[in-house]
Amino acid sequence: MTATAPPRDRAPAGPPPAARSAPPLWRRVSDSGWAFLLPFLAVFAAFMGWPVVYGFWLSLTDSTLVRTGGDFVGLANYAEALGDPLMWQTLGNTAFFTLASTVPLVVLALVMAVLVHSGLPGQWLWRLSFFVPYLLPVATVGLVGQFMFNQEIGVLNQATGADVGWLSEDSVALWSIVIATVWWTVGFNFLLYLAALQSIPDHLYEAASIDGAGAWARLWSITLPQLSRITGVVLVLQLLSSLKVFDQIYLLMGNNPTDATRSILIYVYDTGFTGYRLGYGSALSYIFLAIVVAVALVQTWVGSRRNKGAAA
Amino acid sequence: MSRSTRHSGPLPPSDRAPVPRMSRRAALRTGLFGAGALAAGGLLSGCGPADAAEVPLQFWSPLTGGDGALMHRMIADVHKAAPELAVDSTALAWGRPYYTKLAMSSVGGRSPDVAVMHLSRLGGYAPAGLLHPFDLDLLAEYGAGEDDFIPRLWKSAQHEGTQFAIPFDTHPFVMFYNIPLAEEAGLLDGDGRLKPLDSAEAFVAASHRMSEVTGDTGTAYGHVNDPAQAWRFFGGLYGQTGRRLDLSGDRHDLDHDAALRVFEFVAEVFDGEHSPGTLNYAAALGTFTDGRAGFFISGEWELPGLVEALGEDLGALAMPTFFDEPASYADSHSFVLPARDTTDPERFRAAHQFAALILKNSLTWAEAGHIPAYQPVVESAAYADMQPQAGYRSAGEKPVLDPRAWFTGAGSQFHDQMSVTMTVNLIGDGPEAAVESMDSRLTGLLAKENPIKGGAR
Amino acid sequence: MSILTPAAGERNSRREANRRQRSLILGRSRLARGGAMTVLVVMALGWLFPLIWATNSSFRTEADTVALPLQWIPENGFTLEQYIGLFEVGKVQLWMTNSLIIAVAVTAITVAVSALAAYAFSRMVFRGRKALFALTIAAIMVPPQLLIIPLFDQMVALNLVDTYAAIILPQVVAPIMVFILKKFFDGIPRELEEAARMDGAGPWRVFFSVVLPLSRPILAAVSIFVFINAWNNFLWPFIVTTDPSLMTLPVGIPNVLDAYGTVYARNMASSMVAAAPMIVVFLLFQRRIVRSVATTGLGGQ
Repeated sequence: MTATAPPRDRAPAGPPPAARSAPPLWRRVSDSGWAFLLPFLAVFAAFMGWPVVYGFWLSLTDSTLVRTGGDFVGLANYAEALGDPLMWQTLGNTAFFTLASTVPLVVLALVMAVLVHSGLPGQWLWRLSFFVPYLLPVATVGLVGQFMFNQEIGVLNQATGADVGWLSEDSVALWSIVIATVWWTVGFNFLLYLAALQSIPDHLYEAASIDGAGAWARLWSITLPQLSRITGVVLVLQLLSSLKVFDQIYLLMGNNPTDATRSILIYVYDTGFTGYRLGYGSALSYIFLAIVVAVALVQTWVGSRRNKGAAA
Repeated sequence: MSRSTRHSGPLPPSDRAPVPRMSRRAALRTGLFGAGALAAGGLLSGCGPADAAEVPLQFWSPLTGGDGALMHRMIADVHKAAPELAVDSTALAWGRPYYTKLAMSSVGGRSPDVAVMHLSRLGGYAPAGLLHPFDLDLLAEYGAGEDDFIPRLWKSAQHEGTQFAIPFDTHPFVMFYNIPLAEEAGLLDGDGRLKPLDSAEAFVAASHRMSEVTGDTGTAYGHVNDPAQAWRFFGGLYGQTGRRLDLSGDRHDLDHDAALRVFEFVAEVFDGEHSPGTLNYAAALGTFTDGRAGFFISGEWELPGLVEALGEDLGALAMPTFFDEPASYADSHSFVLPARDTTDPERFRAAHQFAALILKNSLTWAEAGHIPAYQPVVESAAYADMQPQAGYRSAGEKPVLDPRAWFTGAGSQFHDQMSVTMTVNLIGDGPEAAVESMDSRLTGLLAKENPIKGGAR
Repeated sequence: MSILTPAAGERNSRREANRRQRSLILGRSRLARGGAMTVLVVMALGWLFPLIWATNSSFRTEADTVALPLQWIPENGFTLEQYIGLFEVGKVQLWMTNSLIIAVAVTAITVAVSALAAYAFSRMVFRGRKALFALTIAAIMVPPQLLIIPLFDQMVALNLVDTYAAIILPQVVAPIMVFILKKFFDGIPRELEEAARMDGAGPWRVFFSVVLPLSRPILAAVSIFVFINAWNNFLWPFIVTTDPSLMTLPVGIPNVLDAYGTVYARNMASSMVAAAPMIVVFLLFQRRIVRSVATTGLGGQ
């Protein structure tokens, strides 16, 4: 990429001083930073800023889907939520899903990336295999998952001779959803790791092998330590995206998740739209938002401490 | 974003389709652009329907599988009778997903012209302003009216005296039996019909006889982990004690003695010795189709599959009167008109025509086992010849529908919660605990804030 | 980030690089190489299997799809009947068109709006810049999924439910992309812009004729990333569309059912149709996509 922009000598050098001192108002406005920012600010204010504020207001009312402009009820929705066993159960499901999916999504991605990065033949094929599921719409994941997990005719039971109700047994279903999620999204983390691996300078390895370190020792002494920063990033991204799980649970469970599989976001949907209670659903959203922000802040804090420690 | 209060007001005048109520935004728009809307209305009624241009009609249903295929056939019949109706039919997943989308589409203002709704669900939609009432004069033009329906069913399709739904079937909870096994058990009379089982004692004895014959199960009934089967069974039997659960107030009126009678009877039949009380839906079905059970209690919608499995050996009857009066738990597929921002008079009319035409073609629908709601069809010779459908025809006459409340109905949380009590009865702590459990669950449901109280879009 | 540097050289040099890599990472041990290869092959097979199986099943009759025991080659041979049936119904084409219109619009608007804002944050001086940038950064933490209730209600009030606008507009707010682009713009040497400014170019001219041409790789990366996400987005389009003729592929396929019942062969065919466009695009632009995901995905740090 050439970096020099050919200067055009169309414009007269040195604009008249008068123009510079007092450009017309429209020019001052259109050339200001605000003009550049305006389109973004407009959509941001309309479709993020306002909903955040409005949603909070809703959470203080008893508005419903069929009758909005409900009455102000103070913190009653929040009080109800704290005593709502279903909220705790769905939060528990969400936490379980997040932990159970984040660990393999980080570890497997790392293993895949290290193996692929080793330069074994078939690079194109490996990348394709691990990354392509990430490009699938969740509709495909849901339907293929239902098909493969089916107790009677599913290939999983048929091939292994097992008789597991992968999606129909409450105790198993969330695990099956984790399996499908790992298959679907690990490719993204895999690519992040791959990019990070490629930025590790070769001379580190060369120096280590001159010192007589074997492949295994180089993995532990160079590769993994060099990846610690990116691991922090992958972990945050993964935690945050796992917490927001909705799509694959909803679709794998045939649009009708059981209490044992509902995530908090699905409970928000069920409360607000199926149960009409916009106010209460908004309160649930805000409780969850507080948790998400807390996780993000803790992660940032841990990350910055570690960076400081590393720098010291 | 505060919303203006909703008004209801008349649509722009149109001599064709008086729409009694309109949505908030439509009202708002009339306020804003009143004159324009009036002009448009006048224009529309000016061109008239005489020119046989196609009228598009968006139709939603939760019907898939065999039901979906039959509905498809009926729509084809409608098309033959009224080629100008261009019906665009959409099937969404049964239960929660369907009813959620239906409500959201009404709220959004661009809902389908006509949709299928379980009558048991009306309590969550009509009072919420999510539906348009039917225009009975218009329906009468196409040959359907109050006189064509069982009065109780017709009334169930109303909310505060206004007709919000037109039922096209009842699908009751019934009893199937295996004819050769019944004969062996000595339960048939001289004409090969099942002897009356009209008391709890008589049925318990018959079920025991059946279990001796099969050497396995007397009566098959699956309810474990099922979100509705237990409520369907209980609801009908509770109705047979002469009680109807009323959930219209702040408190329920569950009659503990009557509920206990029902639970004790069920526990006696499914004592684990003559008939298991631990089957799930599929297992119960399998037990009966394999000939390991003489009786089978389930919905009539199982009929096509059972006929395929048992053929001529299959018998069916309305739920026998074990208690004081005949009653069968039933629900009813009905047509509704989801509320919309703007109602095109042509399409409004077409929706009525469509509903009436399906009613008249509902003999097809009986193939799935459902009892047509349109009495001229039920009274026809063709229906009388349908076996075993005609055997449980009486179940359509004394239907016990869900108690009307915002939270009841097919695929609802209510069914789910009530059904748990049967597990308490048969697998847990027994009948008394089941009654207590039902009572506290009902209290819990009624304690929830009613989201549709006091207003409508 | 080395992954960003344009692939230098030919296939040969890449192969040479791989060989070097191999000896650096795995060493010369045959055991290590063999072991690594085995694990890779097993994992790749595991990852490809669901797609292969689903594709295979989509070319069958329904009876063969559910016939037990399962076989690789169906009894009645492979058939196109599921695909033919699917396209005859006609909804899939409609949904695909919707998906395309929506994903293209979301991508175009997001990139345009975000690039302008990023440039303002990166280069321009105006009151409130710091505060607004801080707000943008904070907004990265707010998952749009949590706004479904107020957003839907807002769309009802604006009378936009079941319109393209309602599906598209909330998706174009991407503070993370503003952040990524700003970081990139920060790295462009100011001298280049100074030169243009000396020639009398206003900020808009500088932006369009100097900055944008220099930013092609990052713009491509952001566009690809936004496009993938918009194409596959489920939750918001699912919430705000109820009219089947406005649905996107990911929303229509699992929600609008075949009236004849759950048929696995048909489901697999529609799954494949939903998946195909992205897979084809990936096969065509593999390198670019891999790079863009790596770049933008890492922007979050």
